Amino acid sequence: MSTPNLNITDLSFGPAKTPVLEKINLSLESGHFMGIIGPNGAGKSTLLSIIAGLLQPSSGQIELFGKQLHPFNRHRLLKQVGFLNQLHDREPRLPLRVHDVVAMGTTDYAAPLWRQIGNRGDHQDAIMQALDQVEMAELAERDFRHLSGGQKQRVRLARALIRNPKLLLLDEPSAALDSKRQDQLYALLRKLSTEQKMTIIMVEHDIAAITAYVDSVACLNRRIHYHAMQGDQIPEDIWHAMYGDHIHIVAHDAGCIGCSHPDEQPNEQPDEHSDNKQ
Amino acid sequence: MEMFNQFFASQVMQESLVPALLIAFVTASMSVMVLAHRLSFLTVGVSHASLAGLGLAVTLSLPLLPTATVFALLISLLLATMPKSQDITEDAGTGMLFAGSMALGVILISTASRYEVDLIGLLFGNILTISPTELQWLLILAAIIMASLLTLSRAWWSIAFDPITAAASGLPVSTMRLVLYGVTGLTVIMCVKLAGIVLTTGLLVLPAACAWFWGRSLAGLWLLSVCFSLTGTLTGLIISYHKDWPSGATIVMALCLMFILSWGGSWLNQRAKKYKSQVS
Repeated sequence: MSTPNLNITDLSFGPAKTPVLEKINLSLESGHFMGIIGPNGAGKSTLLSIIAGLLQPSSGQIELFGKQLHPFNRHRLLKQVGFLNQLHDREPRLPLRVHDVVAMGTTDYAAPLWRQIGNRGDHQDAIMQALDQVEMAELAERDFRHLSGGQKQRVRLARALIRNPKLLLLDEPSAALDSKRQDQLYALLRKLSTEQKMTIIMVEHDIAAITAYVDSVACLNRRIHYHAMQGDQIPEDIWHAMYGDHIHIVAHDAGCIGCSHPDEQPNEQPDEHSDNKQ
Repeated sequence: MEMFNQFFASQVMQESLVPALLIAFVTASMSVMVLAHRLSFLTVGVSHASLAGLGLAVTLSLPLLPTATVFALLISLLLATMPKSQDITEDAGTGMLFAGSMALGVILISTASRYEVDLIGLLFGNILTISPTELQWLLILAAIIMASLLTLSRAWWSIAFDPITAAASGLPVSTMRLVLYGVTGLTVIMCVKLAGIVLTTGLLVLPAACAWFWGRSLAGLWLLSVCFSLTGTLTGLIISYHKDWPSGATIVMALCLMFILSWGGSWLNQRAKKYKSQVS
């Protein structure tokens, strides 16, 4: 049995009384494509940020590719991780062409300039390949600032893909994409996880849109509620024929969406506890 | 033509031309980062705060430029760390420190005898009176700044573009920012000799601002920024010699004019493009 690409044990984040994340346990093999859904403020983005090494968990452990993540090996381990953070409009309007933006995703981009002489050509091919995957190759010379929101998002995805990550973290990658592009994006991710054995974690809102593509869906609201149920609308053998044998068909029952059970409202529970104590 | 001949024949100008162009080159290189990271107010703050450093140097009779350098470095590092720890916004922090240390500087310098300090030279710059030791100091600063740019410019650039993704790809973002602030502080001190405390920001913002309309990549911006800066400095020096105007102010004025031309040029260029696409 191979070591999982990502292994999270007993992870918690936030103050002990009102944790943002609590007792997260998760283990993902290479080639696994997982969707995370949950209500606003459930801690979805926080979980991705912790895995990406941006936040320190309050307790618990994260293992990437069999090695425990800590500040000293962070730089080396994160080279194998691609990260697409949530779209925001704070991006400064730097004058950059599309292929320059994608180049920023290469692992040696920030290396001193004298070490970059000579490796220009290799990157050029990789850049065009990454842009090709998101169908932006013909706009490679365009000014990034003049792109539409959806085009920018695809370029940002190409930037995450160019380093050929073993683990890809995506926070609402379909934001700003129309439904046709959304499906293309999910199909591309499915292909990457199947063919290149990429482990993918994707935070999304629309569960109906992703169930056809992912191996599993984690329902997150402070804790992970992991559901793996067979889809009843589409027979399993059809999906197996299309995507191969390792796929699990996952669907959610109506009660699961949002995963908010009456006794697990993150904001109310601590108050109840303190009331009881008094 | 005679104007140029006179200019290049003058010994004062010959001696000040090289340091002036050196400063123009280094500040133009840094100005790309200043604009990308929106640090123009930091340069205002640090340049004014350096008056306190100069005042301190005068009062304790320490060497002027080294003392000012250390002081500017401390101030910029303080500004880089203060906002996070105290919940004060960065611009308010800069504003307070800027006023406070300027006040301290004025008091310190006023206690020194009037003839010791060339206050106007400090405030508005005087490249014509550069001494060999000062030139040496400028060369050291230039070497440090250019070395940091060669090493870290790509990292700084990607942090300016998207700090979160930069951090997620393993860059130590907060350390790099700290270094950027420090190097910006050093650049400010270089500028003070040429443009003076009051006009320093002009040299650290205008070259890249001119280039911003035309550049499409880090290398392009840098090259354009350096070209604008060298042209502006040379033009400013020649005019200041010919008209007997203060050199620092004339250089900044020349750069301002170039900014307006660059702006107008890019506006016309866009109009022409629109017109072309409408016609075809």
